[in-house]
Amino acid sequence: MRTLTTAILMLALAAITFAAEPPKLPYVYTKWKHFTVEDGLPNDHIFAVKVDGPRVWVGTQDGLAMIDKRTGKIKSWTEKDGLPWRVITAIDVDKKTGDVWLGLFGGGLARFSGGRFDHWHQLNSGLVNDVVYGVAVQDEYVWAATTAGASRYNTVTGEWTIFTEKNSPMEEIWNYNVAVGKGKVYLAVWGSGVLEYDLATGRWKDYLDPDGEMEIDLYRDDGIVHVIVTSASPADDVVWISTYFGACRYDGRHWRGYYNQDSGLASDFINNAKGRSADEAWFATDKGASAITDFKTNTWVTYTRDAKGVGGKAVIMRDRDVLETVDLPVSIPHNFIINYDIDGNDVWVATAKGLGWGVGESYYPGLKERPKTVAKVAAAKGGAR
Amino acid sequence: MKVRRLCMFAALLVASLVGAQEPKATPAKQGGDGTAAAQPSNVKTTDEAISPELRALIDDDTAEVLRRINGLSPYEVPNLRLREDTNYAHTSVDYEPYGAIKPYKEFFLKQMEYTGPGRAIPEPGPDLKSVKIGFIGPIMSTVSVATGGKSHEEALGIKMLEGAKLAMEEWNARGGYFRRHIPFELDISNDNGLWGSSGNEIIKMAYKDPVWAILGTIDGANSHIAIRVALKSEVVMMNTGDTDPTFIETNIPWVMRCIGDDRQMGYLLMDYILGKMKYKRIGIIRGSNRYGRFGVRKVNDAARRHQHPVLIEMAYKVGTEDFSLQLQRMKEANLDVVIHWGDAKESALILNQMRKMGMNQPYFTSDRSVSPEFVKLAGANAEGVISGYPWNPERQDPKLDAFRAAFRKRFNDEPDTYAAHAYDGMNMLIWAIQVAGLNRAKIRDVLAYRFKPWPGVTGDIPFGAALDDIGDVFFAKFQNGGWRFYSREDLNVPRGYIPARDRVNRATGAIDPMKPSAPAE
Repeated sequence: MRTLTTAILMLALAAITFAAEPPKLPYVYTKWKHFTVEDGLPNDHIFAVKVDGPRVWVGTQDGLAMIDKRTGKIKSWTEKDGLPWRVITAIDVDKKTGDVWLGLFGGGLARFSGGRFDHWHQLNSGLVNDVVYGVAVQDEYVWAATTAGASRYNTVTGEWTIFTEKNSPMEEIWNYNVAVGKGKVYLAVWGSGVLEYDLATGRWKDYLDPDGEMEIDLYRDDGIVHVIVTSASPADDVVWISTYFGACRYDGRHWRGYYNQDSGLASDFINNAKGRSADEAWFATDKGASAITDFKTNTWVTYTRDAKGVGGKAVIMRDRDVLETVDLPVSIPHNFIINYDIDGNDVWVATAKGLGWGVGESYYPGLKERPKTVAKVAAAKGGAR
Repeated sequence: MKVRRLCMFAALLVASLVGAQEPKATPAKQGGDGTAAAQPSNVKTTDEAISPELRALIDDDTAEVLRRINGLSPYEVPNLRLREDTNYAHTSVDYEPYGAIKPYKEFFLKQMEYTGPGRAIPEPGPDLKSVKIGFIGPIMSTVSVATGGKSHEEALGIKMLEGAKLAMEEWNARGGYFRRHIPFELDISNDNGLWGSSGNEIIKMAYKDPVWAILGTIDGANSHIAIRVALKSEVVMMNTGDTDPTFIETNIPWVMRCIGDDRQMGYLLMDYILGKMKYKRIGIIRGSNRYGRFGVRKVNDAARRHQHPVLIEMAYKVGTEDFSLQLQRMKEANLDVVIHWGDAKESALILNQMRKMGMNQPYFTSDRSVSPEFVKLAGANAEGVISGYPWNPERQDPKLDAFRAAFRKRFNDEPDTYAAHAYDGMNMLIWAIQVAGLNRAKIRDVLAYRFKPWPGVTGDIPFGAALDDIGDVFFAKFQNGGWRFYSREDLNVPRGYIPARDRVNRATGAIDPMKPSAPAE
C-alpha cells in the first residue's frame, strides 16, 4: 500500500513538472506590414521580391518598385521610365556591382544599373526565349530560366550559352526557376524535375520523380514528388524543392517529401520555395504562407489572412497536429503567395494582392521553450484546417 | 419550379447589383490583365434586368455558382463544391501503374481551386468595342522543331480556326455579347513556330492586346508552354486539339480540355488488341515528335501491364517518306499487330510500304489518320484499319447535323474533328463569358464548376476533376470505302475492372510501403 502511494505521488509530481515545462515551439511572425498601390507600388500583383541591404526590389505585373526600408519610401519604374517590359517575374542583384537583373515575362532580360535599363531579348542576344521565369547571378554570370531553355550570360565577355535538350538532360525545356548554391546552379524545370549544374566540372545531374508517373507518387521519400517543379532553393547543404503537387527536401543523400496530408503545408499547389537553412524553408502556396521551421520534428507555421479585415492566423503544426494557433491583428497581405525573400531575421512575402514584410523581432531558428503566445489553442488533433 | 427559378434570378440580380455598388478593390492601374480602362466598380456593367437571351443561358446550378462568385472581395474564395473523382481517366486496375503497390499519393482526383483575388477585378468601362477571345493554333506554314524543317500541322489548325470562327459568328448573329450588345472578336495567333513562340503569343493575348479567354492549341510542346503563361497571367485556356495526356496533368486551375486524349484512346485500342483479339506480339512505329512520343506511352504501359510488352518500337522523323529501315526490323520481329502514332501522311505511307513488303498484320493507328489525306494515299490498303477516335461523328444528333450544314455553307467544306471540337470549345467559352461577365476568374469559375456535361456537337462533354473531357472515346474502322465509328459496346470489347474507390483508400491486397511489415516470427 505504501509503495503504491509513493508511486502515485511520484507520478503526480512528474505530471505537474511536465505540465509546467514550457513547450518547445517555433518563432511566429506577429508583426506584419503591407505594401500596395496605395503605398506607391505600381501594381498589387507581386511576382518577385529581392532584398539588397536597405533596398527591397519588387517586381509586379505592371512595373518595378524599390522600397527603402529605412524611410519606407517607394520609388517605381514603368515602361514610361525606360523599363523594357512591364511584367517582372524575377529579380536578382549582383552583389559586386549592385546591378539589378530583371526577368521580364515576355520581355526578355533587363539590367537596371546607374539609373539606366539595358535590355536583352531573343532578337539581340543569346537569350533563348523572352518569357523569363527566373534569374540568378552567379559570379560574373547571369542565368535566365526561360520557357524554352536556360541562358547564361557572361557579363565580362558578353558571351551567351544556351542550355536545352541538346546539351543538358532536359527531357522538357520548360524552365521555371534558377538558383545558385555552393558550387552548383539549380534549374527547376516544368516536366523535367531539377537539374544540377556543377560549376567545377560543367556537368549536369538530373533529379526526376523515380516512379515516372504523373498521376501518382509511389513512395513519399524516394525523390522529387513530381516532375512539374516550380523552384529549387539551396540553403546550407540541402535543396528545398517546390512543385504544384507538394514539396520536398534533399540533403545529397536522403529525400523527404511533404504534402498537405502529412505536414503543415497549407496546400500542395506551391508557386515557389525559399530555403533559409537546412532546417527552415518557406513555401508559397495558393492557400497561405507555409514555413517548415524545424526539419527534425516536422514543425510548421502557416500564415493566412482572414477574408474580412487585415488580420489572420498563424497555425503551428507538427505533422498534422495543431500545436498552437496565434491570432494576428495584421497577417500576410493575401493567401495566394507567389514569392519570398529572406532578409536576416525578416521575411518578405510577395502575394497576388500586395507585398508583406514580416518583421522578425527576436527571431530565433528552430524550436525554443516558450510559453504559448496564444490567444487561442486548437485542441483537436488531426488539424483545425 | 418557376418560383424557384424566379428566386434564383432575383438573388443573382441582387448579388450583381451589390457587387456593382460596393467597391471591393482599388481599381488597378494596369490595363493588360483584362482590366483595360478599368472603371470603379460602381459603374453598372451588369444589366439591371437580365435579358431573355441571357436568362436562357443560366440554369439553376449556374445561377447558384454566380450567386457565390459575385460580389466577393479580393480576399474571399467562393464556397463551392469541388469535383472529386475516385478514379483518374477511367483507368481500369489492369492499367494502373505499380498496381501491386498502394501509392502514397494519387493526383488529379480533386479539382483545383483558384484562390487569387481575380474575382474582384472590376469589369472594363463602357468604351469596350468588342469582347476578344484568343485563338492560337498552327495556321501558317513556318519552320518546325518536329520536322527540322517545314511545319506540318496547318491542315489541322486551319480546321480548328474555322470551327472556332463559325461558333463566334453564330453568337454574333444572335446579338454578340448580350450584356453590352457588342460583338465577339477573334484574336488570332499562329503557334506553328519553334518551341517557345507560343509563350510570346500568349503574353501578347494576356497583356498587350488582352483577351478574355483563349482557345488552342494542337502541338503538345506548344500547348505546355502556352498554359504556363496562362497560369501566371490568369486567363482560361480551352484546349480543343491536343490529345497529349500530360497536357492536363499539370494541376493548373486555368486549363481545360474538351477532347478525349491519347490515354483514353490508347487504353481503348489496347482493350481491343489485348482483351478482345488476344494479340501478343505488338510492334509500334511512331513519329519522333512529342505527339508520337507521348501518344504511345499509355499503349506501351498497357501492353507491359498486360504481360505482353511491346516487342519493338521504331521512331521516324516527321516528314520521312521511306520507312524501309524501320519496317524491315519490324518484319523480322514477326509481329501480330502494328500500331502507328503520327500524322495521316506518314501513316498511309507506312501502311502502303508494309503491305508492299508482305507485312499483312492488322494496322492500328492514332486518330490523325481518320482524314481524307490518309484515305487518298492509302487507297485500298486503308480497308480494315482501326483507330481510336475522340468522338462519334455518326451519332444521330440534330445539333451535329445543324453544325455540319452551317460549316458546309460557311466554308464549302466538310468539318473534321478539329473543327468540331473547336466549335464546341468556343461555344463553351462564349457561354461562360455571357453568363459570368467580363472577369477572367469568373469566366473560369462557371466552366470549372459546371457539373452538367456540355451538350456539344461532338457529344456530351463531361469534365473530370482535372477539367478534362472524360466522356467516351470510340473506334474508327475503315470499312467498305469509308470510316465507320463504333463504341466499345458495339464491338463487344471488354473493359477492365474500374474500382469505385481511389487507390490510396481502397481495401485491396496491395502492398502499403508506408506501413511497416509485421516482424517475422
